[in-house]
Amino acid sequence: MEERLYDLIFICRPATPEEDVNKIVATLEHSATEHGGKVDKVERWGTRRLAYRVAKHREGFYVYMVVRGTQGDMIKELERRLKVADPVIKYQTIRLDEELKRQSKLARHRERRAGRRPRKPAATPQAPPAAEQASPAS
Amino acid sequence: MADQPKNEPPATPEATPPSSPQRSEGRPSGPPRREGGYGGGGGPRREGGPPGGGPGGPRRGKRQFFRKKKVCRFCVEHVDFIDYKKAELLQAFVQDRGKILPRRMTGTCSRHQRWLGEAIKRARNIALMPFATEL
Repeated sequence: MEERLYDLIFICRPATPEEDVNKIVATLEHSATEHGGKVDKVERWGTRRLAYRVAKHREGFYVYMVVRGTQGDMIKELERRLKVADPVIKYQTIRLDEELKRQSKLARHRERRAGRRPRKPAATPQAPPAAEQASPAS
Repeated sequence: MADQPKNEPPATPEATPPSSPQRSEGRPSGPPRREGGYGGGGGPRREGGPPGGGPGGPRRGKRQFFRKKKVCRFCVEHVDFIDYKKAELLQAFVQDRGKILPRRMTGTCSRHQRWLGEAIKRARNIALMPFATEL
């Protein structure tokens, strides 16, 4: 099966100690590798203001991860772990590979079109017919 | 009664509130409403009319209002993927209370509006953007 790319964001309570966050990240990495996946990137965005109240908190500690894997079970397991983790108040997983594929396809398409454009000569003698069409109508 | 509101503003709009007790027999809520109308709607529209209609008049026939063509911002910048994590960028495409702005306001093309809506909804889900601002 082809490989899939996911964005995984979770929010911890603002009072969570650093080592607890590290522990959660470590367990996620462990279970990802167990299911044949891989954690590409871990970013700690730090404590940010939430746009709305979540679990009575107005702030949260954001952690952003990029995970790649081939089995859908992996995401299931990661989400289960986030669900049972006490400091985590919100999480979201988004599959991104299809959108990135679309992005690269569009970029390729544009490049090809840009390469072709100079060869095409400009031909726009369409002003007189447009004027003729306009006069009978009025 | 009907002639009063038309005559007052050109003469001295600022002088009306003090002198209003004499005229405001039947309409106590008159002055505030008129002030609001002149500050918000009347001024800009009247200013915008002559520059567009004057020079553009001979060429464009009867069209009085010249509206600048809106261009899709994402098309100009060749954006192929709208990142939901850039909440500051997305903030420009929602109203103050958090509603997604329609295409006719922002000029976004249909394809990018679709992606934009998706990105905003994703950002909302993870509390980067509000569903609705609390007051």
